[in-house]
Order: sequence, then structure tokens, then C-alpha cells
Amino acid sequence: MRLFLKRLGKRELATSFVFVLFIILFILPFVTIGMKSVSEGWRWPALFPNELSLDAWRSIMKDPSLIESIVTTFKIALLVVILNILLAIPAARALSHYTFKGKSIIEGLLLSPILIPGILLAMGLQFTMIQFDLADKMIGVVIVHLIPTLPYAIRVMRAGYERMGSSLNEQAAVLGAGPLTRFLTVALPLLLPSIRSLMLLTFVISLGQYALTAIIGGGTVITLPLLYYPYFSSSNEAVIAGFSILFALLPLLFIGLVEVMLRLVIRAVNRV
Amino acid sequence: MNGRIGLLSNKWKLRLYLLPAIAVTLLLVGHGMWSAVAQSFQTIDGEWTIATYAELFSNHAFFHSLKLTFRVAVLSTLLSLVIGLVMTRMLYELFKDSTLKILVWIPMLIPHFVAGYLVFLFFSQSGLFSSLLYQVGVLESRGNFPVLVQEKFGLGIILTYIWKEVPFVILMLLPVYYEIDHRYSEVVRTLGGSKWDVFKTVELPWILPILIETAVILLAFVASAFEIPYLLGVTRPEMLPVRAYEWFYDGDWSKRPLAFSAMLLPGVLALLLATFSIGAVQKHRLRMIKGRNR
Repeated sequence: MRLFLKRLGKRELATSFVFVLFIILFILPFVTIGMKSVSEGWRWPALFPNELSLDAWRSIMKDPSLIESIVTTFKIALLVVILNILLAIPAARALSHYTFKGKSIIEGLLLSPILIPGILLAMGLQFTMIQFDLADKMIGVVIVHLIPTLPYAIRVMRAGYERMGSSLNEQAAVLGAGPLTRFLTVALPLLLPSIRSLMLLTFVISLGQYALTAIIGGGTVITLPLLYYPYFSSSNEAVIAGFSILFALLPLLFIGLVEVMLRLVIRAVNRV
Repeated sequence: MNGRIGLLSNKWKLRLYLLPAIAVTLLLVGHGMWSAVAQSFQTIDGEWTIATYAELFSNHAFFHSLKLTFRVAVLSTLLSLVIGLVMTRMLYELFKDSTLKILVWIPMLIPHFVAGYLVFLFFSQSGLFSSLLYQVGVLESRGNFPVLVQEKFGLGIILTYIWKEVPFVILMLLPVYYEIDHRYSEVVRTLGGSKWDVFKTVELPWILPILIETAVILLAFVASAFEIPYLLGVTRPEMLPVRAYEWFYDGDWSKRPLAFSAMLLPGVLALLLATFSIGAVQKHRLRMIKGRNR
């Protein structure tokens, strides 16, 4: 062991220390929650559960409002992601490839939704949403979820466009590729990592909204977070743990779906 | 790309690209903000008045909430930045071409309130650390474990934000660290500079703009987020967003203007802060670009 430590330089030692710290901080908590969700009567001061049971998962799955809320949550998040892609890609392209008058004002405007409290905007919008019959509906919740997501989406896509540069695109244009072919064969493949980050980020942000959903959804649009809070104040810890696991699984499920779809799209594009 | 490629001139293409995002933002932010300001100055019957602000500023609960919100926002932002910066410096080479970067993404996958539950699970009086200390023999009963979660200072809230935001800081800083020309660091070192000199003269000028941007985003986020304080805060003093939410949903509709005015204050503060700091950074950036060209 000492020989091993000696052979490692100071830098490697520091790196591996931080690496272990990462695992302790970011992975161990989930192992613990996972254990908690299948434990029974794991109370202070026990360090490990003395009995395992699937009761918590059974009672979660028995809750009829749960399945419904998962579907609602997923639908809302999916729409939020799609809208973000449609809005952010062209805006990011404009911001990264062009200089124009008033650019910094427009940049500031597009960033402003993360600086102004979302809860204030949602409260302000509630009355208008009611007038236009969007309140208490999924579509209203989707719209209000754009507040915390769109600035991040534009930022991520902009970084992607800046990394890509414009030379490849120009070359394709010189060789006679039309705008659509250029986008599908040059920009899209190079932007894929950014699009993945965008999808993941906006999905997770939408998944984590309680206040905005509650204000605009008015208690008729029930997403997963709205069920989580009442469970948290109940005392069944295994059920809360199971719920938390669900929250971690949903983005993973979403990434899986997206990966499969992206592969299909890429294959289709390559055939063209 | 100068000149014309494709059907539309660049000027029109630009407008077409930006229009949807700008329209949506204006509708949400512009209209939301206007409506919030208007409702903060109106009574329930639609009469214009500044009585709400007078009531707010004579409200002790409001000032306690404001103080708590300010403390939590500043502490969690500063600590996240420092920890994130140190970790980025140690790890950027390791992350360069490796799949380990996924580790940083893990906390990003978790909604904030689940992170709050994690902090509760580990740090509450009947949590796992308390159990561990009891098993080791340090604690006699769980009452001896310090109250870290759901207390007045907001420690649990700060801890949660640090856990969630450090990865965000790392992900913001990593690309900049790859951009830094590390030959400059070698120059400083050959000239006898210490590690701190390297950081101060080479790295800081590069990362300062992104550091400030990150700080503004985090400050604004923590000061206005509802989810974690609702889960881990105490009933009094509660953080501003919780206070505002409760005023908004109070059975008594006359409290609604209070909810608007209470949240407008941090909103305006965040906007001013952002305008000033980004303006200052812009100057700094220009100087850097000029310096590079010389």
C-alpha cells in the first residue's frame, strides 16, 4: 500500500482523492435511498436496515393518482423539451453567427427569465392564463415551464454553435448543398451533444417544478412533485425514498428513449 | 457568413431566427412582469395605491424573511463557487477525454427537492450521520446531535444548494479551463511564481466573466426558488418565495398584492445586479481581446 502511494505523484493522489470524494458525495446517497426504499422499520440509530420488504413500492404502485401523474409529468416535460428545441436552435444560431445592432440587449432579454423570480412571473401570468382559458390545463403549465428552461436551452445551443464554427457549413454551401441538407448533414450531427444536454437539462428542470405547476395548474394538473410534498410530510420514509428513486429514473428513461430516437433519425438522414 | 447564401438576405434570416424566442420571452417576462407590477399597486377592487408597499415595509416578518433569503443566497452561492472552482482546477485534466464527466451530471439529473430529501436523510437529528455518531459512541442520544435541518439559520437549505450547484459550477467552468492557454502558467512558474500567482495572473482573467455570470445566475435562482425552502425551512422566518406563495394562496385575497410586492424586490435587485456585473465584465472582456491582438 505504501509503495503504491509512493509511486503515485502528488497530483495523481489529489485527483484520486477527489474522485473518491465524488463517489461518496454523488453515488453513495442514491445507494442509500435505494436501500431505504426496500427497507422496513429502518430507524435511528440503526446504520443498516434490519429487514427488507417491497411494501413501500407496493403502496406506491397501488396509488392510482401516481400512474396518472407520471403520465402527466412526462407529457408536460416532453412538450417543454420539444418547444425548447424549436425555439432555442434558431435563436442560438442567430446569436452565435451574426453580429448586429442591439445584440447585447437581446441577449439580456433572452437571459432575463432566469434572473426574474419565476414564481413572480407565474403569479403575474395567472390572471391572463385564466382569461385565455389556459389555466388549470396542461398547455398552460407547459407554457409557464418555458420560463425556467428557455434561457438555459439557448445558452447550451449557443455554446454548441460556437464550438462548431461556420467553416464546414460554408464548405457545404459552396459544394451546392441547400439549407435543409446543410442543417441535416452538417449542423445536426455536430450539434448532437448540445441537443442531448439541452433535452436532459430542460427535462429535469421541468420535472423539478412545484410552485409554477401549482400556480398555473391550479391543483387540476397533478404532476409528480405535487404528490411528493404531501408524502414528505407523512411519516412513511420508505415511500418517500421510493418516490425519490422514481424522480431519478424518469430522466434516465427519457434519455434512453431519446437515444433510440436519435439513432433512428441519424440512420434515416444517412440514407438520404 | 457575409453576403447571401440561400433564399433570404441575412438581415431577414436573422429576424426570422430570433423572432420566436424573443416573442415567447417578451410574452412571458414582459407581460408577467407588467401584470405583477400592476397587481402590486392595486387593491383587490382595482384601485391604484401604494398601501401595499407601506404595509410590506412595516411588516417585521417580511424583513426577517428578507434577511434569511439574503443570507442563504449569498452563502450558498459563494461556497458553491469556491468548491466548484477548486474541484474544476483539480479535475479538468482528468475529465479531458474521459467518461468520468458523467459523474458530474448525476446531481444535475435530480430535482432540487430530492436533493433536499437527501440532506434530510443524512443530516437530520434522526438521520444517518446521527446514527453513525451514536454507533461510534460519540452521541448519547439523538437530541445531542446539532439541529442542522429545519432550523432558523437555513443550514440544511444551504447544504442542499451546495450539493446541487457545485456540479453546475463545474460544468460552467470546464469549457473555459480547456480554453486557457496553459503555456502561460508555465511561464509564470519558470519566472518563479507560486501556484497562487498562476491562478491570479493566468486563470482568473479567463474565468472571471463566467464566474460572475454563474454567481448572478445562482444568486437569482436561490433567492427566488420555492421548492427547497418549502421542504427544509422553518415556519418562521420562512424564505421570501415561501412567504410570497403563502400570501398568494392565503384564503384572504387581499393579501395577494403583498405577494407581488414581496417578490418584486428580489427580482429588481437581481436585474440591477446582473446589469451592473455583466456591464463590468464586458469592459474586462474587451480589454482582454485587445490585449490578445496586440
